[in-house]
Amino acid sequence: MFKKVLIANRGEIAVRIIRSCRELGVETVAVYSEADRNALHVRYADEAYLLGPAPSRESYLRADKILEIARKSGADAVHPGYGFLAERDDFAQSCEEMGITFIGPKPSAIAAMGDKAEARATVIKAGVPVVPGTEDVGNMRDEDLLGIAPQIGFPLLIKATAGGGGKGMREVKSLEEMPALIKSARREAESSFGDGNVYLEKLVEGARHIEFQIMADGHGNAIYLGERECSLQRRHQKLLEEAPSPFLDEDLRRRMGKVAVKSAQAVDYVNAGTIEFLVDKEKNFYFLEMNTRLQVEHPITEMVTGIDIVMEQLRVARGRQLSYKQENVKMTGAAIECRINAEDPYNNFLPSTGVITQNIIPTGPGVRVDTGVYPGFEITPYYDPMIAKLIVWGESRGQAIQRMRRALEEFRIVGVRTNIPFHQTLMESTRFLGGQYDTRFVEERFWTPESNDRSVPLSEIAAIFATLVAHQQTQRSAQIVRRGERDASNWKWVGRWERMHR
Amino acid sequence: MKYVTTIEDKEHIVEVLDERHIVLDGKTLEVDFQTISGQPVFSLLVEGKSYEAYVDLADDGLRVLMRGILYHAGVEDEREKRLRAAAGGGVIESGEFHLKAPMPGLVVAVPVSEGQKVEKGQVLIVLESMKMQNELKAPREGAVGRIRVKAGESVEQKQTLLSVH
Repeated sequence: MFKKVLIANRGEIAVRIIRSCRELGVETVAVYSEADRNALHVRYADEAYLLGPAPSRESYLRADKILEIARKSGADAVHPGYGFLAERDDFAQSCEEMGITFIGPKPSAIAAMGDKAEARATVIKAGVPVVPGTEDVGNMRDEDLLGIAPQIGFPLLIKATAGGGGKGMREVKSLEEMPALIKSARREAESSFGDGNVYLEKLVEGARHIEFQIMADGHGNAIYLGERECSLQRRHQKLLEEAPSPFLDEDLRRRMGKVAVKSAQAVDYVNAGTIEFLVDKEKNFYFLEMNTRLQVEHPITEMVTGIDIVMEQLRVARGRQLSYKQENVKMTGAAIECRINAEDPYNNFLPSTGVITQNIIPTGPGVRVDTGVYPGFEITPYYDPMIAKLIVWGESRGQAIQRMRRALEEFRIVGVRTNIPFHQTLMESTRFLGGQYDTRFVEERFWTPESNDRSVPLSEIAAIFATLVAHQQTQRSAQIVRRGERDASNWKWVGRWERMHR
Repeated sequence: MKYVTTIEDKEHIVEVLDERHIVLDGKTLEVDFQTISGQPVFSLLVEGKSYEAYVDLADDGLRVLMRGILYHAGVEDEREKRLRAAAGGGVIESGEFHLKAPMPGLVVAVPVSEGQKVEKGQVLIVLESMKMQNELKAPREGAVGRIRVKAGESVEQKQTLLSVH
């Protein structure tokens, strides 16, 4: 096994990786920005080194500094986590050149899957179905795009070849509006990725977003660890994932799993990766893209398969064979993950920053929480708003949902606002309970100001809470009045006190 | 002390008798109300039934978050209510509104100009924070007053960005 692993990441995922290293007896090296001196990953690691100021480009994106720390600390491997440098082939390449193992795929595989247009072309050659669209590899001029659009048919999507997270993506309903949308998509792609290349894809309506976890070793073995249903998204950000998908049957799962493995093999893939598919109402499925890294939502796969994916990543990176064969991989029960974000669901999901003053984490049977925060830790505006992942397992989907409801109510985070009430509402939604949702569900039908005007079952109890809190405030102001000189009337004092606390 | 407490649109009369007793809409109840470690989480026992909620003060009243549901509450003591009724009631939306940054971040765009008429819900500022672009909108119609920031500028939480009058 490795002697020492550097984790080039922060937050919950850095903590997650450190945990598996610990269990294997591997030493860990954390890196951190000035904003993260007190972060959990720094406290948990065996060694920790400062990278630089808070902004990512001066800290967690500084590949040169990270490699320098790896060398100095004597780390023999680097785990990139997700985000930051995880899908940068040049970083993986630099690791290799320094004789440090990059825990992930080869740079060539990252590059091949990183360019969306090239990825499409590669898997098409391997016989993998893709969403109908442009097949040229990048560099298409506006005229070419406009010419080919009617053949693909409307509605369609303009997507950035270097894209991700919905940046540089536009939905086009007709040829007339297309020139302007191409322009704005290119502009956004240029500013987000430094690459204005776009391509076209048919818009699959009522689509589900279902992804397959794959694992491959350097000895030609590749397996899939089942799927994750990721259709619940808002602004192209996933909010909740579940495994297995309520939409798949055994036959479709096997067929998609085989295609997922084939897609990975098309780029000579090694280590953990994820193949994303779009699945339409008729259960046709199309390759969307491959994420060449560990995913945020990997724990739900761990819960249903019992496989520690990070541990398996470390083994494979060390040159060992996979410890599982396809026939040994069994999905048992159901798992759900809710992403807990520091966002106010009642105020347009605005990010919420501040110091966490209280954090009561749900526990009990079948509950797992991956987090990087604790009371006293400050949520800064520099990084992703996700502060915890609440994961539950149940014998059935029904039990998992009941468990999630219970766990969400137990979770008490004070200091920042969170989207926990959003998840609680989701857990009561009949469409979610029935598994009847697609990628548009949250935006179109679910969380709108109107839908919040629901019945008020505990209206009387709420009235007692509000009154007693207000009463307490009044009492407190009355006490302040009693102190000091009575040079003014009590009412004036109350007025001043109120102004002061406004 | 007697209060008129409004939850959403429903009024409740709540009288606080002493530390342990209240009267809710004419019904006397035994209560035990505790602050959990000085935080906005409160524990309430009502006739042996246990409830917990986050309660915090908002600009327009109190917010009670309980079992995944947010209740907007207004609490007035009876005297205040009588005074307001005598004054004719009704809140007039006037005066200057100051748009403050809800969190620290980077101003990405200011799609309005000084003096411009804006509608309720119109985007005034686009603020980037935590990798997300957030649209800050006008809470009511009016004209844009002084704009104190420009695109590319970093702002602190609660910093005034512009005003609408």
